[in-house]
Amino acid sequence: MRVTLSATARRGASPLGLGLFAAAVVVLLLFPQFVKSPYALHMMVLFFLSVIMGESWNILGGYAGQYSVGHSAYFGVGAYTTMILMTAKGIPPWFGVWVGVVVVVGVALIIGSICFRLRGPYFVLASIAVAEIMRLSAFNLKELTNGAEGILAVSVPPLTIGGTVITDFLSKVPFYYFGLGLALLTIAVTWVVEHSKLGYFFQAIREDQDAAHSLGISLTLYKNIALVISAILTSLAGSYYAVYVGFVDPNTVLPLDLSVQIVLISIIGGIGTLFGPVVGALVLVPLSEALRSNLITQAFFSMGLVSQDSKVGIFLQENLAHAHVLIYGILVVIVILFMPEGVLGFVTRLVQKITRRDA
Amino acid sequence: MAILEVKNVSKFFGGLAANSDVSFSVEQGMIMGLIGPNGAGKTTLFNCITGYYPPSRGEVTFDGRRMNGLQPDKVCKLGMARTWQKVRPLAKMSVLDNVMVGALCRTNSLKVARDVAMEQVKVVRLEHKLNFLAGGLPIGERKKLEVARVLATRPKLVLLDEIMGGLNPAESEELIQLIFDIKKDGITQVVIEHDMKAIMRISERIVVINSGEKLAEGTPAEIVATPEVVAAYLGSEH
Amino acid sequence: MIVFLQSLMSGVLIGGVYALIGIGLTIIFGVMRVINFAHGDILMIGMYLTYFLFSVFGIDPFLSVAICIPVMFAFGALTQKFFINRMLGALPQNQILLTIGLGLIMSNTIMLLFTSDYKILTTSYSSGSVDLAGISVSQPLAISFFITAAITAALYWFLMKTDIGQAIRATAQDREAAQLMGINVRWTSILAFGIGSALAGTAGALISPTYYIFPQVGSAFTLKAFVITVLGGMGSIVGATLGGIIIGVTESMSAVYISSGWKEVVVYVLFLLVLLFKPSGLMGTSRM
Repeated sequence: MRVTLSATARRGASPLGLGLFAAAVVVLLLFPQFVKSPYALHMMVLFFLSVIMGESWNILGGYAGQYSVGHSAYFGVGAYTTMILMTAKGIPPWFGVWVGVVVVVGVALIIGSICFRLRGPYFVLASIAVAEIMRLSAFNLKELTNGAEGILAVSVPPLTIGGTVITDFLSKVPFYYFGLGLALLTIAVTWVVEHSKLGYFFQAIREDQDAAHSLGISLTLYKNIALVISAILTSLAGSYYAVYVGFVDPNTVLPLDLSVQIVLISIIGGIGTLFGPVVGALVLVPLSEALRSNLITQAFFSMGLVSQDSKVGIFLQENLAHAHVLIYGILVVIVILFMPEGVLGFVTRLVQKITRRDA
Repeated sequence: MAILEVKNVSKFFGGLAANSDVSFSVEQGMIMGLIGPNGAGKTTLFNCITGYYPPSRGEVTFDGRRMNGLQPDKVCKLGMARTWQKVRPLAKMSVLDNVMVGALCRTNSLKVARDVAMEQVKVVRLEHKLNFLAGGLPIGERKKLEVARVLATRPKLVLLDEIMGGLNPAESEELIQLIFDIKKDGITQVVIEHDMKAIMRISERIVVINSGEKLAEGTPAEIVATPEVVAAYLGSEH
Repeated sequence: MIVFLQSLMSGVLIGGVYALIGIGLTIIFGVMRVINFAHGDILMIGMYLTYFLFSVFGIDPFLSVAICIPVMFAFGALTQKFFINRMLGALPQNQILLTIGLGLIMSNTIMLLFTSDYKILTTSYSSGSVDLAGISVSQPLAISFFITAAITAALYWFLMKTDIGQAIRATAQDREAAQLMGINVRWTSILAFGIGSALAGTAGALISPTYYIFPQVGSAFTLKAFVITVLGGMGSIVGATLGGIIIGVTESMSAVYISSGWKEVVVYVLFLLVLLFKPSGLMGTSRM
C-alpha cells in the first residue's frame, strides 16, 4: 500500500512549486527581449502549441478518462474556420477564432452525442471514425475548403484596437506571446477544473462510470462538459497554428497522426496531471526537432560514431530527418511499458525514492 | 408511511425472468432485510430500483414519486443511494476524495463537501486512511468507504448490497454497529446480506426472494418459522 | 444493370482481401481482447516485403505470398512475445497506445529504409482484365480473391480440426477456463498474433500490384479492419469474412453511385451506425 502522491500532494500547491512556476513565466515573458533568433522563437511557438494541445486533450482524456483519438477534428475545425473567414471574407483572425469556437462547440456536441454512448475501445474507434469523416469531408467540400490544395493566407491583417495598431504580425514575436498566453490559459483552465467540482466528477467518471453514476453524477452532462472545454481549447490551438503557418490543408490539420500526437503529449508527460503535458512537450518537441533538423546525425558525426562519408552516414543524413515521428513511437512504447505514469510520475517517484533514502 | 414501494416489479433478460412480480414496501426509518440464495435476483432488484435497469413491468415509488425510467444520478439526487456488492472504489483517488465526490452531489463548494466528507469518514472510522488511494485499501475498508461515500450524498434511503461479504467477524460487527448508527440518523435502509445471524439481528422486516420471486415477508421471527423459507433457503445454506 | 453488376463484382473481389485483413484482426482480438492499432502497418510491411522481393529478386507478388506468410508470422509472434504479452492485463487504453506506438515505429522504420516515395509494383497483368459475360474482371484482383478464399478455407480447417486451432478457439471463448484446462495462454497469444500478422501481411502482398505502396498506407487499412471486425462482431471469423465483403461492396457501390471521394465517408458512417445500433455486430453472439 502506498500513500498517494496524487490527490493531496497535487492540491496543495507547494510554495516551491508556485515559485518555480512564477519564475518560469517571468523567464518566458522576457525571452524574446534577449533571444532574437527566429529559429529559437519558432521552436518556442511549437513548444507552446504542443502544450496547448496536450493540456486540452488532458482535460477530456486524462481527467475524465475519455480517450479521444480524434482530436484533430477540433483542431481542424478551428484552423479551417479561421482561415476561411480570413481569406474568403476578410475577417481578421481575432474575430474568426471566436467563430471557430462557436462552430467547434456545435461539432463537439454532435460528436459527443454519438461517441459518449460508447465505452472503452468502442469510444476510441468512434472518435477516430468521426475525425476521419471530417478529414475526408475537407477533401471533398471543395467550394468551402479548396479541397486537397488547401487554403493559403498571404498576409495576416494587423491587430488594431480603436485605430491603434497593437501588432502587425510581421515577426514571430507576436506569435510567441499569443502562444505563451494560450498555453498559460490552458494551464489555468486545467487548474480551475482540477480545483472544482468538475475535476472531482471528471475523475470519478474516469475511475468508474457506474459508481460515478450512482453518486449522482450525470455521465452525459459531465462528459460533454469535459469534451466542450477540451474542444474549445483545441480549436484555439488549431486557429493559432493556421494563422502562424498561414496555410491549412486536410492532411496537415485533420490527419489521424495529429490526433495520435496530441494524445501522446499527455501520455508521455503524465496523464491526468496539471503539468504532465508541459513535460511531454518539453520531451517531444526538442527530440522531434533534433531528428528533423539532422541534429542527431550531426552529433553522431562529431562524436565519431559514424563517418560522414560512409554509406550509413549518407543514409542517416538523407533519411533520419523524415522519420522524426519515429521518436513518438519509441517513446510511447517505452512509457507504456516502463513508466505507466509518464515521465513526470516516473521522475517524481525517483525523487521520492532518493529523498526517502536520504531521510 | 412507506418511503419506498416496489409494486409488481418484473425484469426479463431475453426470455429469462430475473425478477417476477416482486412487491414490498419499506416504512420510513426502518431496516429491511433482503435475503435469498445466490442468483435469486436480489442485486437485479436493486438495479431496477436505482435506475440501472428499467423494470420490464411494475412500478417503483420512492418518497411519493414514480421512479421508473429515471437515471441513477437522478435517483441519487432524489435521496436514494446504493452501494455495490462488488465494491467500486475510485481507485486512483484518495479516501477523502472518494467521499467528497459523494458529498458534491448536494453542493458546489469544495469546502462544504470536504467538511461533509470528513464527517462521514469519521462515522465509518477511516480517518487514519484519509489520504490513502482508495484502490490500495483492504476489502474491509473498501466496504466502509462505499458506505461513507453513499452517506455523503445525504440520502433518505440507502440500499446496502452485501457490505459484510468477505469480512472477518470483527469487521462485520463494526459494520453492524454502523448500520445501527445510520438508523439513529433516521435513514431508511434496505440491506442485502448473506450472514443469517447478522440479518436477523439488524432487520425489522425481511423479504425473502427465491428464483426471482418473493417467497415470504415478515419479521425475522416469522421468517425463521416459515417452512418454505427454511426448505428453500435456510436449509440449503446450513 | 451492367454497371451495377460490375461494381458488385469488383466490390466482392476487393472484399475478399478486406476479409483477410478483418479475420486477422478479429483473431487477435478474440484471443487477447487487445485491439491492434498496428494492424494496417503490419499489412504495409507485407506490401514492402513483396515489393522488395519483386524489385530485387523478381519474385512474382502472388508467389511471394509463400514467403510472406512465414516471415510475417514470425514478425507478429515476436512482436507479441516481446511487447504485447507484457500488457495483457493492462487498461485497454494503454494496450491501444502500445500498438499505436508499435505502428508508428513500423511505418517510420520503413520510411527510413525505403523513403516516403510512392512505389508502384507493375506486373504484366497489373492492369489486365478478363471479360466475364460482359463484366470486366481485374486479373490481379481475381487471382488475389482465389488465394484469399484458399487461405480462409485453410484457416477454418486449422481452427476447427487441429488441436492448436481448438486451443486458440477455447482461449478466445474464455481465457480463464482455457488456462484451467491447461492451455498455455501466453503461447496461444503469440500464435494468434502471428497468425493475425501473417494474414495482414498476406493481404498486403495480394494488393501490392493494385495499390500505391508508401509507409503511411497502413492507417487507412487499420481503420478499415476495425470497421470490418466491428461490423461482423469482434472475435467472429464468419462475421469478419462477411464484413469484409460488405465493406468491399459498399465502397465500390458508393464510388459508382455517389462519388469516389465520398466512398470512405459512407463506410465510416456505416461503422458509426453499427456501433450505435448493433454494437455486437452482425454475428455478435457467436465467437469464432
